[in-house]
Amino acid sequence: MTKILLRDKLDDCLTRWHAAGFDVVGPVRKNNISQYATVKKAGELDLGIILPDRTLKDLFFPQTEPMFSYRISKQKIDTEEYLPPGRQRIIFGARACDASAMAIDDPLFGWDYQDTYWFKRRNETVIVTIACTAADEFCMCTSLKLAPDSTQGSDILLRPLGDNRGWQVEELTDRGREAFSRIEALLEESPAQTAALADVPIKFDLDLCREWLQNPENFESHFWKEISMRCIGCGTCTFLCPTCHCFDFQDEGDTYTGIRRKNWDSCSFALFTMHTSGRNPRSTQSARWRQRIMHKFNYFPGKFNLNSCSGCGRCTRECPVDMGIIETLQEITKLSQ
Amino acid sequence: MSIQEQYRKKAAELLSSGEVKLVIGYGSGSTPDRRRALFARTADDAALFHVDAACDANLSGYLVNEGLLSDKKKIGIFLKPEGIRSVNILAAESQLDPDQIVILGFTEENGTVSGLQGTQASDFTSLMTALKENRTTSEKEQALVDKIEAMTPQERFAFWQAEFEKCIKCYACRQVCPMCYCKRCIVDNNQPQWVHTSSHTLGNFEWNLVRAFHLSGRCVECGGCDRACPVNIPLRLINRRMANEVLDAFDHFSGMNQNQEPVLASFKKDDPETFIL
Repeated sequence: MTKILLRDKLDDCLTRWHAAGFDVVGPVRKNNISQYATVKKAGELDLGIILPDRTLKDLFFPQTEPMFSYRISKQKIDTEEYLPPGRQRIIFGARACDASAMAIDDPLFGWDYQDTYWFKRRNETVIVTIACTAADEFCMCTSLKLAPDSTQGSDILLRPLGDNRGWQVEELTDRGREAFSRIEALLEESPAQTAALADVPIKFDLDLCREWLQNPENFESHFWKEISMRCIGCGTCTFLCPTCHCFDFQDEGDTYTGIRRKNWDSCSFALFTMHTSGRNPRSTQSARWRQRIMHKFNYFPGKFNLNSCSGCGRCTRECPVDMGIIETLQEITKLSQ
Repeated sequence: MSIQEQYRKKAAELLSSGEVKLVIGYGSGSTPDRRRALFARTADDAALFHVDAACDANLSGYLVNEGLLSDKKKIGIFLKPEGIRSVNILAAESQLDPDQIVILGFTEENGTVSGLQGTQASDFTSLMTALKENRTTSEKEQALVDKIEAMTPQERFAFWQAEFEKCIKCYACRQVCPMCYCKRCIVDNNQPQWVHTSSHTLGNFEWNLVRAFHLSGRCVECGGCDRACPVNIPLRLINRRMANEVLDAFDHFSGMNQNQEPVLASFKKDDPETFIL
């Protein structure tokens, strides 16, 4: 016997969570795009999709974030710091790849300094993940040694029941237990069987890829030019990546008054590494693509013992020129054999 | 012989005879319904080309990749009529020498592709005239256009505000566009910072409006930006509207030939002056 949450109790759950002061966020389709957004009623949730177009990182590391405003006068400099609003949130219906991505970025944002914005939101959020029972041809969590029911980054894991009436509840953290204690009365004990997990075939050999990437001889390989020839240098793969975390600072205003903002940046952009002198150490698109792959599968694991990829597949699914990580790592796997 | 077989053979001949150094066309994609750019350097590579209804990308943007044409050698390229128009504009704007471009032209209608006669951009003049005379919009598309046109300015503003709020400034629209070849885009200039780089509503409006104006009379409506947009902003509607404006006001249909003057960078004595009070 395990605890289950029935689908038709979801509205009552939302009511209780709202009453306890939580915002509830989940996958929503609006304006021809699906993304994690705040909902009032369970009916607004779009839980039947493989995964939302946009990632979970948007909720922790938004595309633009005001940090502080400044006003410089003759006598003094006034600043006002902006911090994210302190709202407790429950994300209901995250995907395992998106939740895992949060656990991948935690050490990064806590490495050389504690990123206040990231950790404030992380500490105020409960992530309730629903294991996947369906995948598409771009899903690749298993290639990253993750799975449709990975628990990394999640506070609660829900496993869909075979009859689609609800979910089996697995409490993973104290934060998750606390949030689910609010709906304890709505949960049931049941022997119901869970549905089969999505079958996600392994697409490349991650260990072989890492070995190849670590070999200094391959840094200047002609492979990089060939594989990235059709790359147009946009930020689609970066900005739809749940783990990509690079940012830029922008002062909006003038010398005397304005706002400093933290904006997403992308290693695919030519401007990303442009020096003030005009020299660009990554002057070609192939050097930029190499950096993206090296960072995710060589440098990041070297530093944090984690791959900077959770296998959601959005980079390949959404690429305007049909590139992405899958093809590149498949080709590297071939080169390594 | 199917058009695909004909063009594979033609591409192989162009490469093996040394007439071109490279042929840019369409190869298999990561799923059966996807096609992706394929760069063929040998006759063997040419056997991998596809020509079918799934070949939707306008590949002409690759022609202006830095240094590709600087050795004066020729390049073959698979192009639909919009792609040929792009080549004309790039030639008119001194970005390439049209004599270096060998076109394998094709057109698609209701899922069927057929070849186009001619190999040089200048061979397609009568096709361009026909395209200008017969601008068509699908019923579904027209319904959406009519709906937006019927809105009050406030409603229309709200419509585009909701669309531009989705923008994440990935610049896929710019990067995929053959007309966006500037070495440094205005949004990447920060002294002065003309356009906000932040992806907030104001910054997103600025970017999309700057782009709409910059493409007026230059866009060939290949739909590349619309397909590339990862957040599904209906960019084609903006470009369509601007193309209609320049056609109505200046009888200008972009990419007619390689000598066409850019409509917003030239003037005629009889240009309408309806905007001057």
